[in-house]
Amino acid sequence: MSKVDIFTMENISEGLIAASDEMFYSWGRTSQSPIIYEVLDCAVGLTDAKGNLIAQANGVAGFLGTITYSVRSVIDKFGYENLKPGDIIITNDPYNGSGTHLCDISAVIPIFYEGEIVAFAANKGHWNEIGGKSLGSWSTNSTEIYQEGLQFPIIKAYEQGKLNEAVRDIIEANVRTPEMTLGDLYAQTASLRVGEKRVIELCERYGKEAILQSIKKMMENDEKLAKQELKKLPHGVFEADGYIDTEANGIEDVYVRAKVTITDDEFIIDLTGSDPQVPAPINCTRYGALSAARIIYRPIISPHGVGSEGLYKPLKLIVPDGTVFSATRPAPVSCNWEALSHLTDLVAKALAPHIPERITAAHFLSIVGTILGGIDDKTRQPFVLCEPQAGGWGAGVNKDGESGLVAIGDGETFVMPAEVAETRYPIIVEQYSFNLSSGAGKFRGGYGLIRDYRLLNSTAELTSIASRYRYFPWGVNGGKEGSNNKVQVFSKDKMFEKATFSNYPLKKGDLVRYITGGGGGYGDPLERDPIMVLDDVLNEYITIEEAKKIYGVIIEESNGKLIINKDKANETSKKLKVNDSAN
Amino acid sequence: MSYRIAIDIGGTFTDYVAMNEDTGELIVTKSSSTPSNFADGVMDCVEKGNIPLEEANYVVHGSTIVINALTERKGAKTALITTKGFRDALEIGRANRTDLYNLYYAKPKPFVPRKYRFEVEERLNKDGDVLIPLNTKQVKEIAKKCKDEEIEAIAVCLLHSYANPEHEEKVRDILEKELPDVEISISSELIKEWREYERTNTTVCNAFVKPVARKYLDTLKSRMKEKGLMIEPYCMLSNGGAATFEMTKINPINVIESGPVGGVIGANEIGKMINERNIITFDIGGTTAKTSLIYNNEVKITTDYHLEKTPIFAGYPIKAPITDIIEIGAGGGSIAWIDSVGVLKVGPQSAGAEPGPACYNRGGTEPTLTDANYIAGRIDLARFLGDKYDIDIKKSYEAVKKIADYYKISVEEAARGIIRIANNNMMNALKLVSIRKGYDPRDFAMVAMGGNGGIHSPFLGRELKVKKIVVPRNPGVFSAWGMLMTDLRQDYIRTKIIGINHQNIDTANSIYSEMIEEANAMYLAHGFAEKDLYIVKSADIRYKGQEHTVRTLVPSRELKNDEDLQIIRENFEKLHEQYYTFKLPDTPIEFVNFNITAFCKIKKAEIKPVEILGKPEEAIRCRKIVDFDEDGKIEVAVYEREKLGTDSKINGPAIIEEKTSVTVLYPDQKAFVDEYGNLIIEEA
Repeated sequence: MSKVDIFTMENISEGLIAASDEMFYSWGRTSQSPIIYEVLDCAVGLTDAKGNLIAQANGVAGFLGTITYSVRSVIDKFGYENLKPGDIIITNDPYNGSGTHLCDISAVIPIFYEGEIVAFAANKGHWNEIGGKSLGSWSTNSTEIYQEGLQFPIIKAYEQGKLNEAVRDIIEANVRTPEMTLGDLYAQTASLRVGEKRVIELCERYGKEAILQSIKKMMENDEKLAKQELKKLPHGVFEADGYIDTEANGIEDVYVRAKVTITDDEFIIDLTGSDPQVPAPINCTRYGALSAARIIYRPIISPHGVGSEGLYKPLKLIVPDGTVFSATRPAPVSCNWEALSHLTDLVAKALAPHIPERITAAHFLSIVGTILGGIDDKTRQPFVLCEPQAGGWGAGVNKDGESGLVAIGDGETFVMPAEVAETRYPIIVEQYSFNLSSGAGKFRGGYGLIRDYRLLNSTAELTSIASRYRYFPWGVNGGKEGSNNKVQVFSKDKMFEKATFSNYPLKKGDLVRYITGGGGGYGDPLERDPIMVLDDVLNEYITIEEAKKIYGVIIEESNGKLIINKDKANETSKKLKVNDSAN
Repeated sequence: MSYRIAIDIGGTFTDYVAMNEDTGELIVTKSSSTPSNFADGVMDCVEKGNIPLEEANYVVHGSTIVINALTERKGAKTALITTKGFRDALEIGRANRTDLYNLYYAKPKPFVPRKYRFEVEERLNKDGDVLIPLNTKQVKEIAKKCKDEEIEAIAVCLLHSYANPEHEEKVRDILEKELPDVEISISSELIKEWREYERTNTTVCNAFVKPVARKYLDTLKSRMKEKGLMIEPYCMLSNGGAATFEMTKINPINVIESGPVGGVIGANEIGKMINERNIITFDIGGTTAKTSLIYNNEVKITTDYHLEKTPIFAGYPIKAPITDIIEIGAGGGSIAWIDSVGVLKVGPQSAGAEPGPACYNRGGTEPTLTDANYIAGRIDLARFLGDKYDIDIKKSYEAVKKIADYYKISVEEAARGIIRIANNNMMNALKLVSIRKGYDPRDFAMVAMGGNGGIHSPFLGRELKVKKIVVPRNPGVFSAWGMLMTDLRQDYIRTKIIGINHQNIDTANSIYSEMIEEANAMYLAHGFAEKDLYIVKSADIRYKGQEHTVRTLVPSRELKNDEDLQIIRENFEKLHEQYYTFKLPDTPIEFVNFNITAFCKIKKAEIKPVEILGKPEEAIRCRKIVDFDEDGKIEVAVYEREKLGTDSKINGPAIIEEKTSVTVLYPDQKAFVDEYGNLIIEEA
C-alpha cells in the first residue's frame, strides 16, 4: 500500500467535508417542506464503511450523532452482503439508530467503488406530516408511539435505484399531506445521490486507497485533538440533578440526574438514577441520549466546525434501559427534545462551576415547540403554524448572556418574520420584544422574548410544550437564576397560563402570549461594572431602582443626564467597587 | 482629446485607468490607499495619471468608504423608529445560532442600541390596509428626543411598509420638518421587500453610513472640480452598474461591495469581445481570491448578502442588489500554518502589505503562498519588486523551513504542499459557484485577474476543465478597467404575493408600471434623457407551497394574455430544474417579488483590437527551472508578455512575465495572444 502524502490527504478531507456541505445545501434548496427550507431541521453526513462519522453538517444540534447510529443500524440489519449499489434505506425507528421521533426520517445510501462499499452517505430530516393522531404528527399528550405516526423500521425505499412502490403507496395512504410528504422523500434521497457522486469522484481523482487512508487520518487527528483538550480539563467526578417539568399528561416532575467522570482519555456521562420512562411524549431513547451527549461534549472539547468519529471516541454514555433517557417501545417520544435538552443541561450544570470559560450559565432550554392550526375561514384549507421559540441564554465569565436565541437543541434555526407569519396564517403578531427578566450577576443573563399571536380566524387549536416552567435557569459562581418559560392565553378578559397545551381551542380575537425565560447570571451582581449597569439603565433594560437594589449602583440625574453617584454607593453593598473607569 | 477615467480604491492600492476615447490607449497607474482620508489617494492617482480632468468625459469611482464605515463602526449616531411592539426586533434578529455547538456564541450586536430605538403607534396588515392610524404626535416627541440626544441619522422601518409606504412617508415628512439637519432613511425608499428584520437592518445600515458617504463624495467632487472636472462623476454600485454621486448619496448602501465588481463587469466585456457567453471570473489578490459566474453574458445579482458573515457568525443581512461573488481568504499573502493536530492550513490570515511575505524582507517571518511560489521558481520577485523592497529568497526559505521541519521534508516539498493546499481552497470556491450550482465548467471560459490570477488559474482551470483561460492585459488593474464598461443601473423590488394566473395580469402590469414610473422619474430628476433608459423585468417566482423563489425573466412588454404567462412559467421551470434538479408541472406558481432593473445607456469605452509587434522567440528573457508539482521540475523559457506580438503562440510549459503579474503555463497547455492582446490558454 503506497503512502499518501499529507497534503493530498488534507485535500481529500476538505473534499469529503465539502461533499457533506453540498448535500446539506442541495437538500435545503430542493425541499418543499417549510421545516427543512425555513428552519433547516435536517442533518447530512458521510461515514466510512463501518458507520464511523467522517463529516456531518447540521441545521439543528439535536441531530448530532444520528448519522452514525442510523448507518450502523442499517449495517446491523442487512449485513454488507445484502446492500447493493442504488439501495436507499429509510428509518425513523427511535429505539434503534434513528433516535429522535417518528417525524424525523433518516435515509442511508451505501457508496460503492470498484464493487466495494467505501462509505455511506446519510441524512435525516423532519417531515411535516407522517400520520398519527394529530395534524403535524407530533403531539403533547400521546401515551404510546402508535399514536405518533407511521413507522419505517429500517426498510429499503429504493432497491438498486428503483423506488419500492409498496413503500410509496403505504406512505401515501397514511399521511395527511401525501404530496408534500412524498416530495420530502424524493428531495431527501436526491441529496444522498449528490454525496454518492462526490465520493466516487474523489475515488476516481485520488484512488480508493488514498481516500481510505485520508479518512483514517482524519479520525486519528480528531481523536488526538479530543485527548489534548481532555488533558486541559479538571479531572474527577461531577454531579447534577434536576426535573423535567412540562406537566404533559399531568406528570409534574420527572427527576433526572447525571454523573460526569473526566479522565485523561475518557469523558463518561452516567445517567443511572434518573426516573423511569413516562407515559408522556417527553422521553428520548438511548440514541437520542447519545446525540445529546455529543451536543454538550462539543462546546467542552471543540466548539467550532465539523468533527469526525475520532473526536467522540473518548465519550461514553451509561444508562440502564427504560429510563426517561433510554425509553423502550412503546414509550411515546414525540417531544423527545425535552429529555434530550435536559441531558445537556445536567452535564452543563455539573461542570459549569469548574470550567465556566467553556460553559455558560443555564438558558431557557426548552424548544417551546408551538403549533397553532385550524381551517382557514377564507380558503377552507388547513393551516399549521409550527415553530420553535427563542429565549435567553446564560452569562459567561466575560460576557452577558445572549438575548433571543434558539435553544441548544436547535441551531441554524430561523424564527419566522412577523410579516411572513401574517401573510401565511390568519394571525397578527402584535408584539415581538424582550422579556426583561433574567439572572443578575457580574455578567447578567440574556433576555427571553415575548411573542403575541392574535387570532383572526373564527377558531383554531393550540398545541405547545415547555419545560423550565417551575424550575428556573441556574446561575454560576454567584450569578442569580433566570426566569421561566410560560404560555398565556387571553380570551376576552380572562387569562389562562400553562406550560403545556394539547389541542386547546381558541376563538377569534384570542391572544396567545409566549414568554420565554431569561438566562442565568454569572458572578456576584455587586461586582458588575457600574458602567455596564448605567448602560443597562440607559437602554431601559433595568430601572434606576433595580440598579440600586440588585447591583448596588446609585444612578442619578444631573443636568438632564443620568450619571453614577460614586459617593452614595449603597451601604448594603460594601463590596461594590467603584473604580475610576466609571468616569 | 477626451478620456474616460476609472479610479478604484482597494485595501492596499488605489488603481487608476484612463482610456483615450479616440485611440483606445490606456494610461495605468497605482497609488497607496490612504485610509485616513481616501480622497488623498484618489487625488494622488489623478496627479500621477497626468490627464487633466478638464479632458475627462466620464469619471467612475469604486470606493470602500461604505464597507469601511460599517466594519469599523465609524458611522453616524443613528436612531431607529419601528412599529409599536417591535422595538427589539432589530436586536432579536432571526434568533439563529450559527455556531451551533458554541455556548459562548455572541450574536450580531445591532448598529442602533436600544436607547435609540423608538416605537410609534401605527399598524398595517399584510395587504397594506391601515389597522391603526399613525400617531403623529408620538413622531414629534421622538423627533424631540433625537434632537436632545444629538442623533445624526434616523432609520424608519414600519411593518408591511412594502405594501403601503404611506406611514413611513408621513414619518419622514415630519422628521424632515422637525430635524432639517438629520439624515433620514425610510425602508420603502430603499427596498419594498418583506421580512422586517432584514429590511430594518438594511435601512439602519444605510442611515448609519449616509452622513459619512455624503461628506466623502462632496469633498471628493469639489477637489476634482478644483482640478478642472467639468462633468458629474459616477460611483460604481454593487449591482454592477453606476450612479451619479448625487444619486449615490441617497442610498449609499448600494455601493457596499462595489470594489470587486469592476472585475466581473470587465470579464463579461472580454467575454463579449471574444464570443464567450459563459464565464468564471477569478481574481486573486494579496489577501483573498474572488470568483463569480456569468451565464449568457448576464452578471448574477443576489440580495442575500450578509455583512461580516462567517461559518460561525450570522452577520448582518443587507438587502441591496449585489453582484454574486464568493470570496475566500486565499491570496499571495496568505499565511501557511500547522493546526493543533498537525494539519497544514493556508489562510485566511494574511501577511498583507505590512509586513508582507517573508521574502519582502520587512520583518515578516511567516511562510506565505508568495514565498512558496517564489521557492518553486514560479515568480521572480527580485525582478518585480526589487526596486521597492530588498527582496531576499533566503527569507522565504527560512520561513517555509518551519513547515518543512515539522513534517521532516525538504523546503521545496513544503513549498509544494503550501501551493497544493492553497490551490485546493481556491478550487473549492470555484466549484461552489459552478458545479455545485448545476453548471458544467466545460461550457465556461475562465478570466484570470489580480496580481496572482495568472499564477494559479492555469492549473485550476485545467483541473476544473474549463474550455479556456483568458489572462487580459493589465490583469493587476483589471477591476478599474472593468468599471469603464458599465451603464447606469438601478434595481427595484416589490413584494406582492399573487398567483400567476389570468385574473392577476392587470395587477402585475400595474405593479410593473408603477415601478417603471418611479425609475424613470428618478433618472429624469437627475438629468438623464428618457430615450436612453431601458428596463428589464423579472420576478421572484415559486411553486405554491414552496418558500424558495427563483428569479425569472419576465417579457419586457406589458403582459397581455395566457401565452405571456406560459412564457413566464417556462422560464421559471427551466431555471428551477437547473438549480434544484426537478420541476412540478402540475403545481401552480406565484409571484413573490416583482423586480425591475432600470438601465440608462451612457457612452461606453470602445474596445479596439490592438496590433502588438514581436515574435515569441524574441520575447524570451531567460530559462529557468520551475516546480510544476505533479508534473515535475522542468526547465522552461521565461517570456516577457509585453514583447509577445499579436498571434504569438507558446507551448507549455513556460513562464510569461509582465509588469504586475506572472502566468504559469503547464506542460499540456498552449497560449496565444489574440487581437485584443489577451493571453488565451487552452489544452494543447
